[in-house]
Amino acid sequence: MYYLRTALQYTVTLLVVLTANFLLPRLAPGNPINALLGSDVVENMTKDQIERIMEEFDLHLPLWQQYVHYLTSFIHGDLGNSIVLGMPVSQVLMQRLPWTLLLMGGALLFSTVVGSLLGAYSAWRRGRAADLATISGVLFVGSLPPFWLAMMLIILFSTTLQWLPSYGAYPIGTPSGSWAWYVGVAKRLVMPTLALGLVMAANVLLIARSATMMALDQDYVTFARAKGLSEQRIFFRHAFRNALLPLVTNVMMSIGSLVGGALVIETVFSYPGLGSLIVMAVNARDYNLLQGIFILVSLSVILANLAADLMYPLVDPRTAEGDPA
Amino acid sequence: MTVLSRLATATAVSALLSAAAPVAAHDGPHVATSERHTAAGILSATDHDGPKTAKHLRIGIWNPAGNITTYTIGNSWNDWVLYLSLDKLLEPSPYLSKGRSWLATEVVPVTADGRVWEAEIRQGVKFHDGSELTVDDVVFTYEYYRDGPANRWTHHVSDVPRVEKIEKISPTRIRFTSERPMPNFDLVTAPELPILQKKQWETIKNPRSLTDPAIGTGPYKLVDYKADEYYHYVAHDQYWAGKPLVDELTLIMIKDPQTMFAALKSGEIDGAARAMPPELVEQWRNDPAIEIAQAPSLWGTWMQMNLDLPVFNNRDLRYALSLAIQPDAMVERIMLGRAQSGKHGWPHLDSTWTKPGLAVPYDAALARKGFDNQGLVDKDKDGFRDMPDGKPIDWRILVSTNQPLHVRAAELMVKQFADVGFKSHVEAVDAATFANLSNSGQYDFAISEITPHGLADQDQYMQFYSSSQMRKLLESEPERLALYNKWWEADTRDKRKDASFELQAYEVKYPSRFMLWYPDGLFAYRWQSYDNYASSSGYGIFHKYSFLPEAGRIGTTAPLDAKFPH
Repeated sequence: MYYLRTALQYTVTLLVVLTANFLLPRLAPGNPINALLGSDVVENMTKDQIERIMEEFDLHLPLWQQYVHYLTSFIHGDLGNSIVLGMPVSQVLMQRLPWTLLLMGGALLFSTVVGSLLGAYSAWRRGRAADLATISGVLFVGSLPPFWLAMMLIILFSTTLQWLPSYGAYPIGTPSGSWAWYVGVAKRLVMPTLALGLVMAANVLLIARSATMMALDQDYVTFARAKGLSEQRIFFRHAFRNALLPLVTNVMMSIGSLVGGALVIETVFSYPGLGSLIVMAVNARDYNLLQGIFILVSLSVILANLAADLMYPLVDPRTAEGDPA
Repeated sequence: MTVLSRLATATAVSALLSAAAPVAAHDGPHVATSERHTAAGILSATDHDGPKTAKHLRIGIWNPAGNITTYTIGNSWNDWVLYLSLDKLLEPSPYLSKGRSWLATEVVPVTADGRVWEAEIRQGVKFHDGSELTVDDVVFTYEYYRDGPANRWTHHVSDVPRVEKIEKISPTRIRFTSERPMPNFDLVTAPELPILQKKQWETIKNPRSLTDPAIGTGPYKLVDYKADEYYHYVAHDQYWAGKPLVDELTLIMIKDPQTMFAALKSGEIDGAARAMPPELVEQWRNDPAIEIAQAPSLWGTWMQMNLDLPVFNNRDLRYALSLAIQPDAMVERIMLGRAQSGKHGWPHLDSTWTKPGLAVPYDAALARKGFDNQGLVDKDKDGFRDMPDGKPIDWRILVSTNQPLHVRAAELMVKQFADVGFKSHVEAVDAATFANLSNSGQYDFAISEITPHGLADQDQYMQFYSSSQMRKLLESEPERLALYNKWWEADTRDKRKDASFELQAYEVKYPSRFMLWYPDGLFAYRWQSYDNYASSSGYGIFHKYSFLPEAGRIGTTAPLDAKFPH
């Protein structure tokens, strides 16, 4: 019953998301013609000329007809052509998606590991100087605007020290798959991951600290102490392990905000992922591309949440039995 | 990312880049050859002497270019990348007073009324696939621009001028016929339209979804690309004007300006093909690895007003407004002196089509008097002028958030308007919304950038009159209409020049938009990688002529051999 209810909820969510994906780009002012021809040219075109270009992209049709086309195409797995790039949207997404996954995966891993460990450590040292120093330091970094942090990293590691490349995801011109290529990819991943991950780590830290502190106050921890278990054993086996549940939810929920962060970070680093693609598609009002990206991102978030929902009963069997605790 | 935060970042980055810059001794001769703003030359402390050829250059570009065809290059911000692989009948551009024979050995008028022209096609010119350029390719290209899906070049053959007939009259000769005079066909139209390969394009049903690289006759062949990431070109060995001086070019998309200049600084790219921020000039002029050049880019920033609104469809009011605007203050405070005042109006001050000596003075007192005469006085005694019917005025100045300099200009405009009694406010919106609002007339004033295509191409000015707003001016201003018609009827180059000059004088006095500034074309490159750039009006230093041997440069460029004093 739990799984059926969950599946129904997600089907409805998907339908709402598909409709919003269609409507939102079109509700925003503007159309793709300015990006195609240049606003100085469009400004001086006649209505007939503009209408003919709109027809090329079916934008002259009533909105409901465009919606029907969109849904039919989606069911057939056709996301259309990017208006600005002239390529099938699915092809563009396939080119860009791996880089975003790499970046988001790296940032997620970094922020989760660093944030949860520091959070747990902070909880363990609650009220002491180490706790205060950790929280202050991480909150300071977390409050920095990601793009500013990215700029500072570029200045430090690219311009001044010249250790890391400042743009791109891979060394252009180096045969892909070669050792040099992998090294180039790794070097180009460091700064975007740090810029995205450091800011996220602060959030993870706060959740991990709070959850660990709550766990440390539970009866089973007192009982473990009474049994004479060592502090390390109590901490890692009992407290930290139980504090992981809200962290799992947080990590899955943060995928959506990661895309938002990637939007800025990818633009600053010219990282060819979905984030920089969204910026281009929004600026050009490339409807097909925007729809394709948003569908992909929405599906990712839905699937991540679904995964979290499905993982809950495994992590805490009480949730599968309808026990809200 | 907000505008303020971007400004703060730009300032911080400039400061840090400056701190990272090594300091070199000031040496080398300081010889100024002409007025700083208009001439091409070196702004660095030292004019280095680097290599004149190169094996491979990496150049940063910033504006979306798709797969670099005539359908994915949608503007003049980066048309030079298209011209690496496509040539025109005459070159280099419509921005000069002379077109040099290129794919055509001659383009000549056949009739005295300027309606019929013929072009002789150069023989032996090879496309990138080895096939030979023919008259059929040229006929196809011109007809395709005129009748095919519209692109940025269409109006040059469908409207101003409209070329009715394009005929092959011999295996090497082509004839162009128009119903109206086109005395500058060889100066504007022929150096504007890039020639396509008929074989490649005639079978394409939807040119906007072509993903193969465009096959052209240009000096570089696009061999590999990932749209919006990089474009790899190799030299066209059979190029008719000689083998290019640089064997390979990789154009790398770096959209963020701070990142692009950081990449240049760190040596990851060899040149930054975008205008350099004025504040970086002083910081980098002593950098031993980077050379800063100035070359006329013919860009500008202007403020349009909504001519659909009755208040602005009044030439005396527009004249008074032009007296109240102080572009000089913007040049000083926003462009740090690295621009020319827009007091000249349209076209660009350095354009070959410009009537010398035109300028509108700043005269706030006269402006106030003009507003009073129009009945725009403070009726509700709130300190600001109102409409003659008593309706309060609060003009909306629209700007795009991705243009921080324009936001600052708008803020200055609010102050300048307030000085003559008008209330106004700035509204910053994203770029696409800005384009939509300005195209649909939902603004009072709008500040935007204008490229050489709109600012230094004589025919484009007439194209402006296709818009509904400009047509309203023709309807309400008989003097403007008479000059407009005189331009169209002018059947010789001299007559058209006279008509254009008269129209310019009228436009300066009763402007349809206000020029704010013409930025100095500032560019930076690593001289140790390649030091053979040339200046071409309208393109700056990044264009195909910078990579061609002397035979390809003659008559098209000015050398960067002048050294500006500090």
